[in-house]
Amino acid sequence: MKTIYKKLLFLFLLLPFSVLAQSTLSGVVLDKTSGQPLPGVNVVVSGSSKGVATDFDGKFQLSKVVKGDKIVFSFIGFKSETIVYSNQTSISVSLQEDANLLNEVVVQVGYGTVKKKDATGSITTVTTKDFNKGANVTAENLLNGRVAGLSINTSGAPGSGSEIRIRGGASLSASNNPLIVIDGLPVDNNTSVGATSIISSINPATIESITVLKDASATAIYGSRASNGVIIITTKKGGKNLEVEYNFQLGIGKKVNQVSVFSADEYRNIVRVRQNQIVAADPSTGVNLPNLLGTANTNWQDEIYKTAEMVDQSLTVKGSLFNKIPSRLTLGKTYQEGLRLTNQFERNTVGLAMNPSFLKDNLKVRLNANYSNEKNRFADGVEGSAIRFDPTQPVYAPANTNYGGYFEYLATPNGAPITNGPWNPVAQLMQTHDHGTYKRTYGNLELDYKLPFFPQVRAVVNVGYDNSTGDRLKTVDRNSRSAYVNNVLRGVNETQSETKTNRLFDSYLVYNKSFSSLAVEATAGYSYQKFQRESYNSFNVLNPNAEAPDVTTYGDQVLVSFFGRTNLTFKDKYLMTLTYRRDGSSVFSPENRWGNFPSAALAWKLKEESFLKSSKLFSDLKLRLGWGVTGQQEMGDARFLYLEPYSTGNSNSQYVFGTVPYSVAVPNFRNVNIKWEETTTMNVGLDFGFFNNRLTGSVEAFSKVSKNLLSYAAISDGSNFSNAGFQNIGSLSSKGVEVTLNAAIVKSTNFNWNVNFNATKFERRIDELALNSDILTGGIGGGTGGTIQIHSQGYTPNSFYVFKQLYDVNGRPIQGAYADINGDGIVNNSDRYIKYNGDPNMTFGFASNFNYKNLDFSFNMRASLGNHIYNNINSVSAYYSLVQNNTVLGNVPTSVLDTNFIQPGSLGTQSDIYIENASFLRMDNVTLGYSFPKWLDGKASLRISAGVQNAFVLTKYSGLDPEITNNGIDNTIYPRPRTLLFGANIKF
Amino acid sequence: MKNLFKLSYLAVALSVLSCTNDLNTVPKDDDLFLSDDFFATEASYKQGLAGVYGNLSLTGTTGAGSSNISGIDAGTSQYGRCLWYMQDLSTDEVIWSYENDPGTADIQRTNWTASNPIFRGMYGRAMFQVALVNEYLRQTTDEKLNSRGVSAATKANVQKYRAEVRVLRALAYYHIMDMFGKAAFVTENDPVGDYRGPQYDRQQLFNFIQSELLALENDSNLANARANEFGRADKGLAWMILAKMYLNNQSYFGVAKYNECVTYCNKIVAGGYSLATSYRHNFMADSNTNSAKNEIIFPIQSDGRTTQNYGPTTVIINGEVGSIEGNGAYLGVGGWGGALRVRKEFGDKFADASFANDARKTLITAGRNPIITTISDRDSGYVITKFTNKTSTGANGSDQGFVDTDFPLFRLADVYLMLSECQLRGATGVTATDALGYVNSLRTRANGQTIAAGNLTLDFILDERLRELHWEAHRRQDLIRFGKFTGGSYNWAWKGNGVTGIAIPAFYNLYPLPAESIAANPNLTQNTGY
Repeated sequence: MKTIYKKLLFLFLLLPFSVLAQSTLSGVVLDKTSGQPLPGVNVVVSGSSKGVATDFDGKFQLSKVVKGDKIVFSFIGFKSETIVYSNQTSISVSLQEDANLLNEVVVQVGYGTVKKKDATGSITTVTTKDFNKGANVTAENLLNGRVAGLSINTSGAPGSGSEIRIRGGASLSASNNPLIVIDGLPVDNNTSVGATSIISSINPATIESITVLKDASATAIYGSRASNGVIIITTKKGGKNLEVEYNFQLGIGKKVNQVSVFSADEYRNIVRVRQNQIVAADPSTGVNLPNLLGTANTNWQDEIYKTAEMVDQSLTVKGSLFNKIPSRLTLGKTYQEGLRLTNQFERNTVGLAMNPSFLKDNLKVRLNANYSNEKNRFADGVEGSAIRFDPTQPVYAPANTNYGGYFEYLATPNGAPITNGPWNPVAQLMQTHDHGTYKRTYGNLELDYKLPFFPQVRAVVNVGYDNSTGDRLKTVDRNSRSAYVNNVLRGVNETQSETKTNRLFDSYLVYNKSFSSLAVEATAGYSYQKFQRESYNSFNVLNPNAEAPDVTTYGDQVLVSFFGRTNLTFKDKYLMTLTYRRDGSSVFSPENRWGNFPSAALAWKLKEESFLKSSKLFSDLKLRLGWGVTGQQEMGDARFLYLEPYSTGNSNSQYVFGTVPYSVAVPNFRNVNIKWEETTTMNVGLDFGFFNNRLTGSVEAFSKVSKNLLSYAAISDGSNFSNAGFQNIGSLSSKGVEVTLNAAIVKSTNFNWNVNFNATKFERRIDELALNSDILTGGIGGGTGGTIQIHSQGYTPNSFYVFKQLYDVNGRPIQGAYADINGDGIVNNSDRYIKYNGDPNMTFGFASNFNYKNLDFSFNMRASLGNHIYNNINSVSAYYSLVQNNTVLGNVPTSVLDTNFIQPGSLGTQSDIYIENASFLRMDNVTLGYSFPKWLDGKASLRISAGVQNAFVLTKYSGLDPEITNNGIDNTIYPRPRTLLFGANIKF
Repeated sequence: MKNLFKLSYLAVALSVLSCTNDLNTVPKDDDLFLSDDFFATEASYKQGLAGVYGNLSLTGTTGAGSSNISGIDAGTSQYGRCLWYMQDLSTDEVIWSYENDPGTADIQRTNWTASNPIFRGMYGRAMFQVALVNEYLRQTTDEKLNSRGVSAATKANVQKYRAEVRVLRALAYYHIMDMFGKAAFVTENDPVGDYRGPQYDRQQLFNFIQSELLALENDSNLANARANEFGRADKGLAWMILAKMYLNNQSYFGVAKYNECVTYCNKIVAGGYSLATSYRHNFMADSNTNSAKNEIIFPIQSDGRTTQNYGPTTVIINGEVGSIEGNGAYLGVGGWGGALRVRKEFGDKFADASFANDARKTLITAGRNPIITTISDRDSGYVITKFTNKTSTGANGSDQGFVDTDFPLFRLADVYLMLSECQLRGATGVTATDALGYVNSLRTRANGQTIAAGNLTLDFILDERLRELHWEAHRRQDLIRFGKFTGGSYNWAWKGNGVTGIAIPAFYNLYPLPAESIAANPNLTQNTGY
């Protein structure tokens, strides 16, 4: 082969160029309606094997073309165009969208793909071109606000993970996190030591598409882990042509606002007000608070933050390796600072994809290999102490040499700290060095082989591997107030590490055959997955009373599954999908470990019916019905429940006989009957397109019922080794409606405007609780073990459970006065009632993309209506009496001026006055960009952009930010910065 | 056909890799075992014994913040702490400043309901103790020991361990019987899982505890008083539980058993115990080694290094640190900013000048108003310094957060006062001279003024018990026995949620069973009034 090739080359060299008139054609392919370049268009010389695809700017270069060659331009969703080569050096071709083919988008459905138009389940795919713009350091933010029914709540911390919920989650005590699948590999849902989140190691620049599977007919193929939906992340494939893309983004983030407390001068007044109150109550008091005031003017909520810089770069090179292996290499480097002093996130990634074909394209190989190296400096929250710290005290006190020159409350000059004094929050941040590294290697190798002896059948093997090592070293300076333990400035030195391995083996056969009016696709396969985990914690080695260093080896978690799927298409109008998965899990006993998860879906393409076929109004109409059963097995650390486990005590949990401490051994809670939690979902959806698909969208309604909930519920005392534990009791249901609309409002050569809108409404209800017994949840700050929420039958999980505040005739709240709800004459714990919950009534997402010639402008917004927050900061701190903080002073929230509360009283922190409506409208991102399509004499293209991340929030919520996790309990959060972004994108 | 054959061959080849046996995973950690693997070594029997005892001190296996029961904050669920809240916080002895700690407000204002998490903690913790004992008895039957080939020496030891855990089960049922008056009855013969034990009423529980302890009293496997290792039960503990039950038999069932009480108190007195040389030794970081080791019949252990817990002594000593005084250094702890103060009536018991030098009076009164009108005002009300994390030689305990100080669950001084009380209540077996002698021996030990025979009355005994035994989890039981807990014959600050105290109905003499426990075991019925 090689010699033949060389000979040919030699022949070519001998031939004068003019004879063949062979030359190179370059050009650009554009969308006829929008005038935008079309990437990925196939450009082939008809009747030959010569061909290329256009790059991201729609450009191509076709060599060795001869006059008279017919060059065909084809692209999914567009009508093909053919031109005859007549020695042009460059051409511009415009392709017309083909409305009938527009829906030829392929979506991932787990162990395969389907064409979007043939999808029967509730599936949303967002691809590169529709991803959110702006600073998206973690992958999930690429589609925040873009998918109805999907909520993503990311904290302000750099590289932070998110609380991801699909349709609100289906569980009560078990996990509500969706299953995340990266290139066919389901990943572990626990954040590792040293890392910031489970998907922070993925470079978003490597992602081609993210598919969200919402209903059971789509997710049931993932069986036991699919009750909370599935998110499938697919990385970019290799390319045949050499393409280079470089992305650069610079961000500068600032604190937006702060919890409203008194400024130093206002505070001086408040201290006097409080002093007068004290004297009024007890004229003989010896307390003199104003004497405790300092002379400084410190805004502690300014001092603990800094400007947060971000630099995000990625370089992608695509091309055919050895002319045979389409490959992609992506290098990423992300540096992001947090607002909190010292907090930073750094990520270096390498992603390699290869997808060659062998054996006459019968064997398709797909390799994805990713390496990520995260370096973090963590900073624990000090917002609480910054809110409370006396604003008249300074940050620094040079005389405190034993405390690094920071101001601290000391009993003697530069000596021991006072008893029960607060700690300087700035010093806490600056004197703590909490570094983590996280190295992760993950990827998969997929072999897809079309059987030569049975061409209707493909055999697919997919092997996945995910291995990570995390390390974290936390040291606290010896000259730090927080290191003062047991009368000695000891410092902290604490090491943690963790190793995790996740191995996957999938194999399945796919049978594909079309009969006259029936198309059949059947898949049957087997999957094996094993998770292993081991961790180490030294605890503070400088404190002799700290727990002794210990290694924790988690039991292997193994999942063995058999699955099958059949897609039947009749007359291209009636579609049916049946799936079945049988999962065996090591979490349950041999009798209970096998779960069966079936699903069925029907779809009817009404548009294909004769009565709509010629409709000008409708360009698409499809009705979908789905039903399915999925499972849940995540119970956190509850392990080996079905066996008879014993735990032994750590070095701090011993009992002394004589003089010898013995590590205690106690049996753990058991449940031999523990089994799958099962969720049954019904889904009905209507996909539609109007006016030649200028307006498309869908409406969905769903109903989910989870039964045999893995409830952490009370058990008969004395019969087991706890008074509560995981049992399969109770049921939870959720119902909802989702609407998605996509519209091309303006569509022309120079000017385009596309918008995407989605709205979600859902409601979760507890239908049955174990023993019909309420469960208190929602731990709050202030008080040890205090709770503000309840699981109660007939209500949303984690509803707020509060006392009803009484008000005087002027509408002022009366301190300590609450309604006697049960009318027994005593106001006590029996008088709490349920008021609101953290779930929104409705959520909305809106994205707009606007192009005029080379200028682009886009923004995306999200809104939430009816979500409520318990303002835990006000509930524990907004009292005049807290102006005194033991023997020193403390700031309080300014809301004390509204309530005039002096003391919280015995029930005060649970007053409904602290439940606030936290509806909001947030502008996540605004970006303005300008493209130079013919940069460097047409050799490259350049787009520069500027934008604002977290541009604004409109809300009536009195706290820092209405968008919080923690089921709506706001006990200080990591604030989200407002970030100015500057970006450049260069393509060669 | 041939192709189909090839296809099925391929299918088999692909699924031959299936390894369903891998689903049988087992623990790999060095702190987690399956029961049979755990008991494979002979040393494990003593470790298991430590597990049963440990439940009195520890709330979980991974430190003070862990808990093997739920429905209550982990640290608060400690056995002695719940006991202390229910026996002392509900009385005239103490106020807890941080009423947003769930359950504390209801208890100290005596207006509790069945949803109080501390009741759930107490009942759950004590019933967990029962479950642990039952499991230990099941794992140490002759049959099990033989099947594991346990050596004769270990077998002999295990017989002792078995006797001891039965005392602990009796202790747990005694506490439940005293406070809740009923419980689910579960023994080692019942299955593990979701077995719903039948409800035993107070008399049934009493009878069970009595029969167990009477049997153990005569069982040579239970060590004689003071003959066992520190930290382990002996006949002294068994006698003490019996004595306590007989002392309160009149208030439990209306039948006096003061003679029986005296019988068992006398056994204790004859058992070799002696008063600590100093009153305060009983409440110090080294009470396990100083002279208090002769006085304390049974402690709830605490150690700043090996036995960390948020039990009664850690709470008391950190709580004693005053908001104004900041006297953590004196007590050997960091302190919790004035968490605990005493009520006005407590201070009144020491008001007489005769107590000026009494070691039992540890009140700090300077700059403090004895009347607490606002509970969260930590500057009001006197504070005390009875318990300390300092040793008898003045050294600090090993940790400034978790104290080394054990909680004296039962001690000889209590027995002395019980004997005096029984004598005053007409019991035989103790003379009036003895009764006066016991009281005065305690006063002498505390450098207090002795009393004359004419002053020795039942009312005096109740007050003297407060002076001697305050904050040692006896007060509620004592007030009930004297008919002063409920009703209006004695109102103290914040009783019935009134600043100066309001009468409360008699049903408060029993605590309600936790609502969750009744829901989980429908055999249980709620106490009257709740």
